[in-house]
Amino acid sequence: MALYDKIFKPKVYTLENGKKIEEKASRTPLIILVLLVAAIISVRVTGFNFSTLVKRGKQFWVILAKMFPPDPSYMPSIWGPLFDTIKMSIIGSLVGALIAIPMAMLASSNIIKSKIVIILVRLLFSVARTLPTLVTALIATFIFGLGTTAGSVSIAIFTFSYVGKLLYEQIETIDMGSFEAMEAMGCTKLRAFIESVLPQILPGYISNSLYCFEGNVRYAAILGYVGAGGIGLILNSEIGWRNYSRVGMILIILFITVVVIEYLSFWLREKLS
Amino acid sequence: MKKEKKVKASPYKPGMTIQEMYEARPRLWIVVVITLVIMAFLIAWSSTAFKNNGGTEVDGWAVAKSIIRGIFHPSSSLLFNLTTEGVPYLLLETLCIAFLGTLVGAVLAIPFAFLGATNVVPKPIALVFRTIVMAIRTIPAFVYGLMFIRVTGPGPFAGLLTMSVCSIGMISKMFIESIEDLDGRILESLDASGCTTFQKIRYGIIPQISADFASTLIYRFDMNLRDTTVLGLVGAGGIGAPLVFAMNTYKWDQAGAILVGLIILILIIEWFSNKLRNRLARGI
Amino acid sequence: MIIFDKVSKVYPNGVKGLDNVSLKIDQGEFVGIIGLSGAGKSTLIRSINRMHDITDGHLSVDGIDVESLKGKQLRSFRRKIGMIFQSFNLVTRTTVIKNVLTSFVPDLPFWRVLFGVFPKEMKLKSLEALDNMGILEKAYMRCDQLSGGQMQRVALARTLAQNPKIILADEPVAALDPITARQVMDDFKKINKEMNITVLINIHHVDLALEYVDRIIGIKAGRIVYDGKASEIDNEVLKEIYGGDLEKVGSSEDLLKRD
Repeated sequence: MALYDKIFKPKVYTLENGKKIEEKASRTPLIILVLLVAAIISVRVTGFNFSTLVKRGKQFWVILAKMFPPDPSYMPSIWGPLFDTIKMSIIGSLVGALIAIPMAMLASSNIIKSKIVIILVRLLFSVARTLPTLVTALIATFIFGLGTTAGSVSIAIFTFSYVGKLLYEQIETIDMGSFEAMEAMGCTKLRAFIESVLPQILPGYISNSLYCFEGNVRYAAILGYVGAGGIGLILNSEIGWRNYSRVGMILIILFITVVVIEYLSFWLREKLS
Repeated sequence: MKKEKKVKASPYKPGMTIQEMYEARPRLWIVVVITLVIMAFLIAWSSTAFKNNGGTEVDGWAVAKSIIRGIFHPSSSLLFNLTTEGVPYLLLETLCIAFLGTLVGAVLAIPFAFLGATNVVPKPIALVFRTIVMAIRTIPAFVYGLMFIRVTGPGPFAGLLTMSVCSIGMISKMFIESIEDLDGRILESLDASGCTTFQKIRYGIIPQISADFASTLIYRFDMNLRDTTVLGLVGAGGIGAPLVFAMNTYKWDQAGAILVGLIILILIIEWFSNKLRNRLARGI
Repeated sequence: MIIFDKVSKVYPNGVKGLDNVSLKIDQGEFVGIIGLSGAGKSTLIRSINRMHDITDGHLSVDGIDVESLKGKQLRSFRRKIGMIFQSFNLVTRTTVIKNVLTSFVPDLPFWRVLFGVFPKEMKLKSLEALDNMGILEKAYMRCDQLSGGQMQRVALARTLAQNPKIILADEPVAALDPITARQVMDDFKKINKEMNITVLINIHHVDLALEYVDRIIGIKAGRIVYDGKASEIDNEVLKEIYGGDLEKVGSSEDLLKRD
């Protein structure tokens, strides 16, 4: 930005009493220019076409309309995959959040003194967070075969990265006085961590994990698309068969489930704080 | 486990003895036991998700090893291929889908945000719009993808539309928060200096929310970039389709090249996004 | 000149904000309004620029009947009256100068308002107003980086930039520490004396009021119970204004300690 100020010189205002004050050139034109160029390139690359949207946009609503009325007779076949989805989110979130604790400890500069360890662990968190759940699920289906195991693993990886990052950031901001006191009393690092750091981070950690779990239910719902089990499996096949009234039924059940889980989780998080 | 956080009125009443005070101690163990029982039940129930799927034809470990080998030895011909088949172009396409998707999503989200903010409209109306937003959010991305493909045919355009709709939920939720945080006292002082309603919006409301909105959009762009990968799987453009293709044909070096490109791009964008949002929070 | 003629204000819930108030304030006076919370101090101040409507009586400012004003007339009438608030009411997310510039907004053509492009002379006027308040160097900083006292000065600069004849200040120092409060009161005094601007201040700190203002109006349950020189106030008067609650304000001996 220093360069920007060199190219576009600041304006100088002189007051009546002779005082001078500089106003830096506004960044707004630059920002607008960059956004405009990016938008033009994007329109070119994606083939964004307004007339297609106007002409064929109706199709979207046609499909949506076909979902109503939903087909209630399909309900019994939904429960199994739905419970699979919920199970995957619960066990995945749990496992991921648990593994995140020791790893987050290793990534906190106030606990671990070795720079290399910190950098490596943080890189692991970053890379794990980079991979979209569906991609990890896809990879997992190659390793664990089709089914809920693959889905649970990918949910666990995502939870691990999400909770872990927030956790080590939280650990780094806590008051370290009690940790030092415990170490001075002759405790091991782990012992001192459990006794002094854990109570400070626990509420935040649980709340973050619950929040992550909330989102995971949505993610778990799509994993079936790559064969990693759950409600996405039947959703995909029913769309394939164009059984839209069944699709509508699945979506409604999914919506209710998500609302209930979000409400429960919200209520729990409120209780925690 | 909730011991530290519970802030309850002390049971102490004037004239209590030590014994009585001891008897009146908070019985937290009940909460702990109930929590543990529920947790144990949930774990037992959900751990069946880790069931044996009857074994795969190929050895899982062998596959895992090939994937890791693929990531460390990516196909350089794909990674540095500058045609529309190569990783750089696919990444550009993914970026473009995410960018325009965020922009269009923001435009779509603004009405929902204002109609869902309790300080703008009455509570029942806000609740209705929030429920609609939640319903929009619940439908998985690939369902939208498949629906939009019927509209535009397969390709990045369908992906862009999907991303826009998928962005509505989170963007309007964050916008609602910024709108509800508005400081109304500024409007009072603008009123006192003789401003019209339009002037009050322009100088009282927009300066307060613009930084928050920009920050939300940058964050969403960051997220959309990850989610766009999903779209490729349904044929809605981006880098997902070639990834699946490479994997299904066991070309791990090609899958590795795509993954490496994707990871690097996302890390760069994330870094930028964090930097920009920090600046926005502190003021440019 | 501000004239209250038997003004009353009854809130929709039946509470009497003002009860038969008659007052005359000349141009260039420095007036402090004291009284308990809820006594009607804010109502009195806010009815002058019609942030509150009165329900009975007549109120005129420089010969203009305030109650008859509507829409555009009301807005241009408010241009001549500056207002300062306890909570500063600045847009903290933007720069100091942009906050000061908002005082020119009502005078600008539509396109300038839309794009936020201000003419140079307005920028200069804003900078001068900031210089007057001694915070010129903060002009391009964001407001949330300033201290409370500095923010109140920005608010003062914003008000001065609109060139008012009257400044209404609703608890301007209540959110400030004692030392900063004094500095801000000094600013008010300077504005009052040098620019001959009428200043009306609602104030909680009786000691500050007695030290700075020329005229005190004591108000209790919407009625004026004292109106006179600040120098003539004694314990009896304060007891009258604050009822038996004088202890709440601090010991009266402390309040009256003046040299």
